[in-house]
Amino acid sequence: MRFCPFAKRTLLVLKAKGIGHEVININLKNKPEWFFKKNPFGLVPVLENSQGQVIYESAITCEYLDEAYPGKKLLPDDPYEKACQKMVFELFSKVPPLLLSFLRRQNKEDCSGVKEELHKEFSKLEEVLTNKKTTFFGGSSLSMIDYLIWPWFEWLITLELNEYVDHTPNLKLWMEAMMKDPAVSSLFIDPKAFRGFLDLYLQNNLEACDYGL
Amino acid sequence: MTDDATRTLGKGSAPPGPVPEGLIRLYSMRFCPYAHRTRLVLQAKGIRHEVININLRNKPEWYFTKHPFGHIPVLENSKGQLIYESVIACEYLDDAYPGRKLYPYDCYERARQKMLLELFYKILGYQNTIFFGGDCISMIDYLFWPWFERLDVYGIADCVNHTPALRLWIAAMKQDPTVCALLIDKNIFLGFLNLYFQNNPDAFDYGLSC
Repeated sequence: MRFCPFAKRTLLVLKAKGIGHEVININLKNKPEWFFKKNPFGLVPVLENSQGQVIYESAITCEYLDEAYPGKKLLPDDPYEKACQKMVFELFSKVPPLLLSFLRRQNKEDCSGVKEELHKEFSKLEEVLTNKKTTFFGGSSLSMIDYLIWPWFEWLITLELNEYVDHTPNLKLWMEAMMKDPAVSSLFIDPKAFRGFLDLYLQNNLEACDYGL
Repeated sequence: MTDDATRTLGKGSAPPGPVPEGLIRLYSMRFCPYAHRTRLVLQAKGIRHEVININLRNKPEWYFTKHPFGHIPVLENSKGQLIYESVIACEYLDDAYPGRKLYPYDCYERARQKMLLELFYKILGYQNTIFFGGDCISMIDYLFWPWFERLDVYGIADCVNHTPALRLWIAAMKQDPTVCALLIDKNIFLGFLNLYFQNNPDAFDYGLSC
């Protein structure tokens, strides 16, 4: 689904590794019955190859693509560096539900509690960059972990919530560096389309996923 | 006697020294299922290691330099590198050490194993109510319970800090009259298991007075 941040992870890896692929978008508000045969949880992203093998859970799809396809490895070979990327991934895990909850509330109740929690989570990520003294979360060049966390930071940009990284300068610099990546920039969401989608999606409108088409 | 049968270190204890070359250290607790995963992998791969048990109710101050929230398991190698989260620790050991590979070589099979693990977490995380089916006990709770009753015999204790919903569920289940009426006596169950693993045919009648 064009606006799903989890599916975005997989699309970024496909693009970054130059893997030929086709996309079938699923209406997440009105799922086709056959989709549950691909993923019993009915969630995107799902990969299906010509052998009929199905892989789901976004992080698992990304790792699978990195292992199954040649070219630039996005995950490091060194076991410790690979473990570090996975530990950062765990550190990031509270951000997606927090950001979604923030977006759901924005026009309604007071969301200062959620704002504070987001600040806390971003500070954890800032600490990683500060300690590593590198631009990216995996080192001096962009790697898997950067792509895995990027889609939510893309939301901050499209929704003009950049002030949320004002207190985390390394994170801000990381975002700027990410925007220069060819995979990131070629897949960057159109802000108008995203806002249109989000409005309809939060109202549970069946047409949300096709906004702009 | 397993190699982790040592007393826990608690508040006021002296921090351990650096990990000697050729060894990897595991910060653990004997009854924690998450740490148990890592101990299984260490054992299965024949990795030379030492275990330091941590008192989870009375954590040493120095332990927070190993993990920001004082969780276990944590691996520490002789380079002082720290790896935490049980699944990450297990994968690190499989990658870093030679010998028998525990994850499959085929990348699709590897992905399948990881998807299965997510399924396991979904069961644990599927609860947004006290019971798996809602606010009252129902079929699914009874269908799950036998395995959890047996785990409970070994004492889950502090380890379900990761899964507070599960701990609450176990406590709630123990209040159900049906569950109570059929609750296996811990000592009898342990006695049974003891004989069972010795292939003793009398195991099945253990605890019966007649």
